Amino acid sequence: MRKIVHIDMDAFYASVEQRDEPSLRGRPVVVAWRGQRSVVCAASYEARTFGVRSAMPAMRAERLCPHAVFLPPDFTRYRAVSRQVHEILARHTSLVEPLSLDEAYLDVTEPKSGLPSATEVARAIRRSIREELRLTASAGVAPNKFLAKIASDWRKPDGLFVIRPHQVMDFLAPLPVGRIPGVGKVMEGKLAAMGISTVGELRAVAAVELEQRFGSQGRRLHELAHGIDESPVQPERPVQSISAEDTFERDQPLEALGPTIRRLAERVWAAAAREPERIGRTVVLKLKTAEFKLLTRSHTPPTPPASAQELVSIALSLCGRVELPERTLYRLVGVGLGNFRDTAPARPQLKLFD
Amino acid sequence: MEFRIATDELKKALYRAQGIVERKTTMPILANVLVNATKSGVTVTAFDLDIGIVSEHPAEVSKPGAVTLSAKYVFDIVQNLPDAQVTLKKLANNYVDISSGSAHFKIVGMAAEEYPKLPKEESAPLVQISGNTLLEMIKKTQFAISSDETRYILNGVYFEPQAGGKVRMVATDGHRLSLIERELTGDFKLKGGVIIPRKGLMELKRLLDEAPDAECHLGFAENSALFKKPGLTMVMRLIDGQFPEYQRVIPKEGEKVVMVPKMSFLESLKRIALLSADKSYAVRIGLEENKLLITANNPDLGEARDVLEVAYRGGDITIGFNARYLTDVLSVMETDEVSFELGDEHSPGVIHAPGDRSFTAVVMPMRV
Ligand SMILES: [Mg+2]
Repeated sequence: MRKIVHIDMDAFYASVEQRDEPSLRGRPVVVAWRGQRSVVCAASYEARTFGVRSAMPAMRAERLCPHAVFLPPDFTRYRAVSRQVHEILARHTSLVEPLSLDEAYLDVTEPKSGLPSATEVARAIRRSIREELRLTASAGVAPNKFLAKIASDWRKPDGLFVIRPHQVMDFLAPLPVGRIPGVGKVMEGKLAAMGISTVGELRAVAAVELEQRFGSQGRRLHELAHGIDESPVQPERPVQSISAEDTFERDQPLEALGPTIRRLAERVWAAAAREPERIGRTVVLKLKTAEFKLLTRSHTPPTPPASAQELVSIALSLCGRVELPERTLYRLVGVGLGNFRDTAPARPQLKLFD
Repeated sequence: MEFRIATDELKKALYRAQGIVERKTTMPILANVLVNATKSGVTVTAFDLDIGIVSEHPAEVSKPGAVTLSAKYVFDIVQNLPDAQVTLKKLANNYVDISSGSAHFKIVGMAAEEYPKLPKEESAPLVQISGNTLLEMIKKTQFAISSDETRYILNGVYFEPQAGGKVRMVATDGHRLSLIERELTGDFKLKGGVIIPRKGLMELKRLLDEAPDAECHLGFAENSALFKKPGLTMVMRLIDGQFPEYQRVIPKEGEKVVMVPKMSFLESLKRIALLSADKSYAVRIGLEENKLLITANNPDLGEARDVLEVAYRGGDITIGFNARYLTDVLSVMETDEVSFELGDEHSPGVIHAPGDRSFTAVVMPMRV
């Protein structure tokens, strides 16, 4: 049985502002850019009593709580504090999965701090955050990520809640289905139409029926209703390489691989674009012959490839470095981008909508 | 179950299954295909609980029956068989004997009864469509689909029938948007639009690419889409939810309109983006009288600059863009010239063919 802790900083950005500016303490603080289309990034608990919530339009927050102090977000400072929080978390385990600047999952099945239980780990973390950073965090302890996240919200703010394995089923049964991640308004409505409003009621429906109605999402609902969530805590490791490959319906000669190489390179490029702070420098072409002989060719251009087209043309040019006989047939081709380095953070891209 | 089938037919069926079957799953049977032999032939089904395809193939069936087999391993085997014909025979405990020429394989299968059932096709009114048109619509929108899994509403393309036998498809990732409207005559009997998920759309594209001129039918039931072409049926679950009000973010007409030669614009953007400082491919685009300037700079490398001659008489402006968002659009356009419309530095840029907004791309600028 795994032991998972979910740590969630309380009203993080607003709390950092209140900590660093004593005159803000005890007052409603709203962190948001000014403007027609901007939304609330964080609201202090004082502001929340007026109904202000994060992600609500800033204009609406202003109407609800006109005397609140509105501050533009200072992400450089929040990021620095977030690093300090992660440094505290890392004392207990290397299995830390950050969800955002203010939230993380920890797998403390075998904590390196040697503390006797996950609950002790959560207590120690909360204490360190309070004493060293003068901020508060809420913590949830449970056998998996899904339950740990519900638990951290249970005694928020500045709280700790533990769900033990034998309590899981009873704990979940009375919860509204909307508490299950991925169950939004639409799904809630559909379940309500089936006479299901609580997790306990959901649990009574056969897996096959949920699958038939909702596909893979139905399968997941069935598992979560039973408190099952196998998803591992995935520590954030900077991407090192990205690749894609394809096996042919029929083995192909080298000169016929162009269209596939192009398609794979574009796929790799699209995946690389999702890592804006990393840049790949080495292009790799991988081939497997009809006789299952594997060969790779790679090239590191002086400046990293900067477009899908460039990646395509480098990958294609690598075909020229394959010295096998011309009649050789290939069963598989792959394109990869490796040797990733950090790059400057992306410049602010404006949004069409939120 | 026992049948004899052309090796190439079985290969084709298994090839179609490769993109669908799930390799990492809590349900091992989803890595399998369901092989069903009846008097009329053999069907091979691949299903991931959301997308399913049923591929029909002629075969000499001597004993009807069904079994499930690993899509990946059996594909590898079939690709390497010595003979043009292959025989599959179910043995006890769902083992399957695969024989071709002198080669024999005895493969572990799983019971057909355990394979999940595809969503019922129900009463989807099928509309005959042009495969080529649908293919064009997919190619001109797919690049704008969001890859952020937390925004699952945007992980697909909005399919919205219009008055007069036209259909609009729209994709957006919140930073850019792509819209295309084409004739797909027929009544889909939809109340509004539906969202087709990316994976399903990519599989659909693959199936259309096989033979775009084949007779194709498309239809929608409550929560699923149905696609048929000779010898093949595909069903997929749609994304449930409200697509954003996209019309709101498409500017009517920009203040500054410039006609740009497409190929020169595309090549220039690629060139200049080589010097962009980060992976957002930030470039600056400047408009002056009869000139379009593209510049980029990188503190580590230096700077780059290019000028295109254009017919332009609006006011001067300099605006930042992710070059990739622009090249994605330009790469799928066919016209020699494109109309590029701008408002101010913080307003979206719009690209469409001159005098034709049936394909329109909207791109938000960057602060540079
Ligand atoms: Mg928080």
